[in-house]
Amino acid sequence: MGGYGDVQMIDENGVRADGRGPGDIRPITIETGVVPVADGSCRMTWGTNEAIVAVYGPMEAHPRKIQRQDRAVLDVAYNMAPFSTTDRMRPGFNRRSREVSKVTQDALESVVLLELYPRSKIRVSIEIVSAEAGTRCVGLTAASVALADAGIPMTDLVVSVASGKINDVVVCDLNKEEDNYGEADLPMGIMPNSGELVFLQMDGDLSQDEFKQAWKYNMDAAQEIHKLMVEALNGGDSQ
Amino acid sequence: MTIPIVPKLLRSHLSDLAERDARIDGRGRWEGRELEVEHSILPRAEGSARVRMGDTIVLAGVKFQIMTPYPDRPNQGGLMCSAEVRPVAGRNWESGPPSPESIELGRVVDRGIRESGCIDVDSLCIIPGEKAWQVILDLFAISDDGNLFDAFALAGIAALRNATVPAERFEVGEDYPLSVSKTPIMCSYHKVGGRFVFDATAREELGGDERIHITLGDDNNVHSLQKGLKGIFSAGEFTEIMDNAIERTEKLRKIIDEL
Repeated sequence: MGGYGDVQMIDENGVRADGRGPGDIRPITIETGVVPVADGSCRMTWGTNEAIVAVYGPMEAHPRKIQRQDRAVLDVAYNMAPFSTTDRMRPGFNRRSREVSKVTQDALESVVLLELYPRSKIRVSIEIVSAEAGTRCVGLTAASVALADAGIPMTDLVVSVASGKINDVVVCDLNKEEDNYGEADLPMGIMPNSGELVFLQMDGDLSQDEFKQAWKYNMDAAQEIHKLMVEALNGGDSQ
Repeated sequence: MTIPIVPKLLRSHLSDLAERDARIDGRGRWEGRELEVEHSILPRAEGSARVRMGDTIVLAGVKFQIMTPYPDRPNQGGLMCSAEVRPVAGRNWESGPPSPESIELGRVVDRGIRESGCIDVDSLCIIPGEKAWQVILDLFAISDDGNLFDAFALAGIAALRNATVPAERFEVGEDYPLSVSKTPIMCSYHKVGGRFVFDATAREELGGDERIHITLGDDNNVHSLQKGLKGIFSAGEFTEIMDNAIERTEKLRKIIDEL
């Protein structure tokens, strides 16, 4: 977190700089089948974030040493395109994207029925082509839609959303400025049908009450976003 | 890119088709796929474009940095062009350091744009010897169904022609449009079933031989050529595709200029 600044991002009536109320999320669109050569794919815009996810597989896992006799292996890569950020992102190895890839993979492995495809590999490529704030949430959510689009069996979709704190007020779905100057960020990966979690991170400073409020915002937003995901998977774009 | 098992059946099928002057997707020999070009579609890039040719989809993004001019060219800025084909774009593309294929892609597109002189590097100078703009063109594949070369080149020039120099953000004056004086266009031909075809799909590339890339400028001047992959071609074959490229680039240039 950028920590305290003098930036005023929410007024006394609880209206944020972009006009949202504390519990409101940014506009979301979801579209499937956007990478014609992939087995499943998803394009998700969320505010000015844009993620494109392609799923390939189940396919042969090679080299053989990565094969598992009792299940498929999931190969998840999260990457930010060079033109996705204000200052150009240099392509190549990056500690942050490695970490996001890992936690995203851990989350998806928790819902995909890997044991149905022994000795195979399922590849999930998450490309952020435009970044605002909360790209890991967009990537994970879009990845679960792309897996469903590829027809890969899962126990549930995953909705990922973050809440945080700006000017001492708990708000849902931080935008760029709120993320830069805010005081906390709590991204979660939620299974919308059971309310269980497969992904959780947090940084910043939240009291126990603030934490409960942020948690609740995420849970409520997850239901809202889940509807859009189901709509997109049932055919047609969602707005 | 790992090359799958030599597709002997595909090769013989493509030869059979060629004898009947047919193509695997029903197109004519010189017929391109349906083309769609959009620009200014990426909010974080100073210039951007999306090109779709059939099932091949690519993005191009332009970013700017401030550089110190090279000592031997104190009045010039720079242009850098790089191409990335990540695993998202197809099952045969793998992660890791850039493959020779993607490096070749970036360099061939780079040469066509650079050598056409469409970007006046002298106009990129801010303070001679101290500060100049570096224009960075990043080409990014979303879906590879063949002929990434032409898609990248088209997206690249479309993105540059619609780019804004972000002078305000770097506190060196007011934003202004990047001046791009020409529209270099690349046309690629692949030898499939023994004869060259325009705009090959992934299956034609897989079962084909050599490919030739031609970049022509506004006055049909040649700015870059590249022969790729194993294969032998004759002067007659080259004349034939050059004639086609002259005709084709003119049509494509019109599309880009009218964006």
